[in-house]
Amino acid sequence: MFKSMKYVLKENKDNLYRIYSISKYELLADMRDSKLGLFWNFANPAIQVLTYWFMFGIVWNKSSVDGIKYLPWMLGGMVVWFFISPCITNGCNAVFSKTNVITKMKFPVSILPLTVILKELFNHACLMIILVVIFAGYGIFPSYHWLGLIYYLLCAIIFATSLSLTTSVLNMLARDTRKLVLACMRLLLYLTPVLWDINSGNLAKHKLIVRIIKMNPIYYIVQGYRDCFFYHYGFLHYWKSALAFWVITFALFALGSYIMCRFKDKFADLI
Amino acid sequence: MELEYAVEFHHVSKIYALKSKDNKYVEDKMFYALKDINFKICKGEVVGILGTNGSGKSTMSLLLSEICGYDEGEMIVNGEQALIAINTGLNQQLTGEENIELKGALLGLPKHRVEELKQGVIEFAEIGDFLYQPVKKYSSGMKSRLGFSINLCLNPDILIVDEALSVGDKGFANKCLKKMNELKEEGKTIIFISHSLPQVRKFCDTAMWIEGGMLIEYGDIDEVCDHYGDYVKYYNNLSKKEQKIERDRKFEKRIIPNLKRSFMDKFFAAIKTR
Repeated sequence: MFKSMKYVLKENKDNLYRIYSISKYELLADMRDSKLGLFWNFANPAIQVLTYWFMFGIVWNKSSVDGIKYLPWMLGGMVVWFFISPCITNGCNAVFSKTNVITKMKFPVSILPLTVILKELFNHACLMIILVVIFAGYGIFPSYHWLGLIYYLLCAIIFATSLSLTTSVLNMLARDTRKLVLACMRLLLYLTPVLWDINSGNLAKHKLIVRIIKMNPIYYIVQGYRDCFFYHYGFLHYWKSALAFWVITFALFALGSYIMCRFKDKFADLI
Repeated sequence: MELEYAVEFHHVSKIYALKSKDNKYVEDKMFYALKDINFKICKGEVVGILGTNGSGKSTMSLLLSEICGYDEGEMIVNGEQALIAINTGLNQQLTGEENIELKGALLGLPKHRVEELKQGVIEFAEIGDFLYQPVKKYSSGMKSRLGFSINLCLNPDILIVDEALSVGDKGFANKCLKKMNELKEEGKTIIFISHSLPQVRKFCDTAMWIEGGMLIEYGDIDEVCDHYGDYVKYYNNLSKKEQKIERDRKFEKRIIPNLKRSFMDKFFAAIKTR
């Protein structure tokens, strides 16, 4: 188990430049496909944010959460959701979409999940720019608290990589994995307090459900982002969620590396 | 170090699981694609691999380039390999130029190396403005030219050529042979998989004959080529019935009826034969 984890870590470390150049190429290829290119990297998330804002902010009139206007509050969590969600769905396909590469040349397969995530990181940076502009409109300006975002972003990257490592291999064994993941992601958006506040509404009565939701690794990241933007409680305030997050992430990484090493020579036969 | 080996095979076998006719789950029916292969290839050697269809040549090329793993034995490879096959793995949607960039990205080459590679390919492939067209518009000859050139210009230590020369026209084939001769002078190891006897005879130092997944002979080029040529003649002179008997005999040898497998292998076989 530890041997395979070491192997995956080493392979990723040795190929850092390769990871960078693959994701750069993929990103450029995406932009070249469309006429407007970079525009879509901004427009896509902006339109989605608008949709949710219209729905919850205007139609259902959720005016504010904890004294923070709804749109910035939602955006604070949504920004990282827009990073993690495509990471998970595309990460699942990371190996399978590179079929024509891994059957034609010797290739370190375990770096593929990280290339997908690095590519999404660029979109995340685009969205962060939108966010800073909108926040400025609401009178929220960057402060030293925002430095915590680096930690939470790192958490998000490590979590998404670990999960992708597992799902991408499973997806090679059975294509159903991707369908399952896609279905789960839709569910997860509403199960994770991205659009709604965990302390509001009927939910507070159901202690058990709240506890389970707080164990959700994505909740930890979303809440962490919001903490950096608005609440400023610090890292230690969420130590229980942090513990659950790191345990789950470590388990996923261990499992992912194990099956990756187990099957890395057999991908060419599996197609 | 006086004699260094580029490739060493110690009792290497590659096993595939077989599906039965009605596509049902078949337990314990496995097939040796390659069986108990032993050889050592010296650095700077040019080896031709001969064999009839389905004898395991392409599996051999996959093993040599470490694309897929083996099931038994041990394999040691010293140096970076590049595989050139008929189906070169070019991306159909991208232009020729972008395919070169993609290859550079996949290998993690720095920018100046990609530029060098591009220049080399432009010079070598002679496809002119087609370099800027999507590969799907290429003729099959052009595709193999491009694929061949990219891999050749990568300058690998070990070059594995899997029948790639049979597609291009004679002029290009000669050019490739010339380039490969240059690589040979530089001391690169070349493994040349083909069933064209004249090309192998002309180009290789030693030859290897694989038949029915087993290594029959490995040694001096003329000797092996003569034996192989004789065998092909003998086989073609057989009547249809005798040919079938011969084929069945070879096939039977490669089947493993009862193999003890670990749980994970069974799990893996179950997925494959599903």
